[in-house]
Amino acid sequence: MSPPPPPPHVDLERFARGEPIAVEIGAIERELATLWKSASATGAPAAEGAVSRAALWNVIIPAHGRENLAATKHLVDEIAPALPTRAITLCLDDAPAATEGEVQASIESNVASQPGGTRMVYSEEITLVGPRGAEAHFGAIVRGLGIPGVPTATFWLDPALPASLLERELLPATDRLVLDTGGCFTPHQLEELQRLVEAARPIPVADLGWLRLGGLRSLFAGLFDPPVGGGPLARATRLEVSHLAGCDASALLVVSWLGTLLGWRPLESGTTPDGGVRFAFARGDAAAGPPLEAHLVPAEGACGKSGILALEIYAGDERYAIHRTALDKTALLTPVAPPKPVTLDSPSDAELAVAALGRRGRDPLFARCLAFAQTLWALEPASGFSPR
Amino acid sequence: MLESSAAAPVLPNPLRQGLAEERVPEPAAMVIFGASGDLTHRKLFPALYSLTRDRLLPARFAIIGFARRPSSDEAFREEMRAACAEYARRRPLDPELWAAFASHVFYQEGAYDDPGSFTRLKTRLEEIERTLGLPGNRLFYLSTPPSSFAPVIRNLGQAGLAPPPPGPGTAPPVPPPPFARVIIEKPFGTDLDSARALNHQIHDVLDERQIFRIDHYLGKETVQNLLVFRFANGIFEPVWNNRFVDHVQITGAETVGVEARGGYFDHAGSLRDMVQNHLLQVMSLAAMEPPVAFDADSVRDEKLKVLKALRPIPSGELDSNVVRAQYAAGSMVGQAVKGYRDEPNVSPTSTTETFVALRLYIDSWRWAGVPFYLRSGKRMPKRATEIAIVFKEAPHLLFGRRGEGIRPNVLSIRIQPDEGIALNFGSKLPGPAMEIAPVSMEFRYGSSFGVEPPEAYERLILDCLLGDSTLFTRADEVEASWSWVSRIHRAWAEETAAGKSALASYPAGSWGPEAADRLIEADGRTWRRP
Repeated sequence: MSPPPPPPHVDLERFARGEPIAVEIGAIERELATLWKSASATGAPAAEGAVSRAALWNVIIPAHGRENLAATKHLVDEIAPALPTRAITLCLDDAPAATEGEVQASIESNVASQPGGTRMVYSEEITLVGPRGAEAHFGAIVRGLGIPGVPTATFWLDPALPASLLERELLPATDRLVLDTGGCFTPHQLEELQRLVEAARPIPVADLGWLRLGGLRSLFAGLFDPPVGGGPLARATRLEVSHLAGCDASALLVVSWLGTLLGWRPLESGTTPDGGVRFAFARGDAAAGPPLEAHLVPAEGACGKSGILALEIYAGDERYAIHRTALDKTALLTPVAPPKPVTLDSPSDAELAVAALGRRGRDPLFARCLAFAQTLWALEPASGFSPR
Repeated sequence: MLESSAAAPVLPNPLRQGLAEERVPEPAAMVIFGASGDLTHRKLFPALYSLTRDRLLPARFAIIGFARRPSSDEAFREEMRAACAEYARRRPLDPELWAAFASHVFYQEGAYDDPGSFTRLKTRLEEIERTLGLPGNRLFYLSTPPSSFAPVIRNLGQAGLAPPPPGPGTAPPVPPPPFARVIIEKPFGTDLDSARALNHQIHDVLDERQIFRIDHYLGKETVQNLLVFRFANGIFEPVWNNRFVDHVQITGAETVGVEARGGYFDHAGSLRDMVQNHLLQVMSLAAMEPPVAFDADSVRDEKLKVLKALRPIPSGELDSNVVRAQYAAGSMVGQAVKGYRDEPNVSPTSTTETFVALRLYIDSWRWAGVPFYLRSGKRMPKRATEIAIVFKEAPHLLFGRRGEGIRPNVLSIRIQPDEGIALNFGSKLPGPAMEIAPVSMEFRYGSSFGVEPPEAYERLILDCLLGDSTLFTRADEVEASWSWVSRIHRAWAEETAAGKSALASYPAGSWGPEAADRLIEADGRTWRRP
């Protein structure tokens, strides 16, 4: 026999503290409405006590295991102040004690005080936890819990989850798919993500790893703004990407970014004595030119989650480079100006997640670059990628 | 190496595709005339620092402060560091970023009317450009007293600092020549004649494509959003006309008095300081027809049509359509405050208005018969700028006395503070009775997007560097708005000369004089309390 439910005011106090409250799945919406109404009516005068329920997105984030669920919920808490959402976190619990066939639900609040503290915006979070096999139930529950008329984003960040959960249950209700190539341990894992991108078409796909590289790409692109212009890129003979061991996927995406935009055609790959990988390219414009090579060089240093330490391009004896000098500092090197130190932001995963749901999360260039990366790893021999 | 790359055709940068900053300005030097002034401290440098922090300025960029006061590069940098630390949107300052930013900041002493100062400025500018590898693009920001606009531009021309671009009919040279652009602060003239004369003097030196007349209201996110709101949503434009709109109210209310600007304001007044530029610009965006494209001339052409369609107020009907008033001593947030005539640098017998309220009509098919009520005042109880579109009541009310709670639908677009949009409508009160109460549906930038919008000056400086003049005012717009406003000034001058001045008074901390209430109540309407 289950214990009697706590009196409503106890739930309200826990809710206001942001603690989860166990609720019946079928009653989630009603429970949320009751709590919001109570929260608005309690305490302060009407103008100060008013509570807005705001949501720009339904956000679905599945996780595998209780440990990943905790990390996921932390991410949701960090997103809340910047972007009001209804977050639905799904957890496939692999603990032996998980009761077969039973899905448990809880609701929580995320609170952001407005400047001055007089108005508040709440986001709400629904957590569903079920044992292995429960993924077959998640799709129907999620479809019932999304706020109508609000787009739905699915964050697919945990590679241990069964692909069927995404492809069969969640994609049909998804308006934007969010991945993280930064979580790929080997370049070959990019292939699985590439398959998901294809499966998701025509849904826009955002990649946290791609967005994480945004600052670096922006700085490097800035080296070729006028008056330098794109001339050195057209004459480039060698590209070198220094990366942390195990971050080959990021490095491949950087090469793919340049290859895609500069029209390079992959020819062959091989390993290098320094433990890296070498690619040879033909120029896309068919113009006769010097050979073009890209090197992925494993190295050590502080570089944050993007894993990229330096990016250099050579055009004859001219060198255009970005070198990290610290976690958030880089030096820009060009033949036309003295070296310049520049701050390189290291956005948090939550900041990237917010960006993924904005305009930058619809960058069609990512899918092209991911496809280019697939071409690169399909080259033989491609055995030189460093293990993590 | 730099010289050779600058001389050769510059290929486009393919790596900008898909980046957040797809359009980054070309390397340039910016000269701020009036570098010791309040605007430079509070707005311009903080905006430039925030743009740098957001990586929206080119990597190679120099700023030269120009003013009469003797100073040095180091002293000026320190002064600007303190200003940015206090006013920049992106705070606290990043010490390393500031050091890099400040190393490109310089100071040049000079007089605005002294050609020799401009020769020295040119020499200094060329030296800085050579040192920093800048290609000669220049932006001149005139944050000076209006009397200096013409001398500065004349001297820029004589020193060869602002050559006009190739004519629009000529083939663009390859590579394109460096640009020279000029941002001119308000007020642009004091009446139609002076605005025309100033335009004439400026056009003697500059091409209109080089001139960026700034109205910082147009850089505000909500003002730009007005275009998106009207023309990117299918449901509003069909009701945006005299069939559905009863009237429009535009309010620009300030809590501050004249502060340190008494000397300027006493010669300007609210009609010149707020209505001729900010409020008429905002009104023209709210009232214009859809432009054929979202580019500078298409948008400004439509705004101009609105300004040209403003119905002149007949001189005999001035008092029933325009109310002017001056604040008297009163109370603001629990503090006693002085009346206007007791403010520093204000004449004790001043007849300058610190409040103005107007009823105006736009003689166009869309707005025939729809009054636009504009008001602007200092020492109002609340700082608020908003456009309120008040819709007509439903043609037939079903609910009889039970519908007493019904109010007209109001769409209010808040420009500052707390930028957002609210729609008021009637809703049934829960319960067995058919009782109706007004409710509000709100959108707020801060709540919905989790970020505060950028400062208007950031957007406008960036647009100027990119050569986009959509959010700047064109010469003919300025003249059209002055043409309408100057009639009122002339009528007021005649009244004053005849000893019949209708200047009312209102206590500081109130929403204006009773005469302003009577102006709108005569039409069976009331002012909104924003």
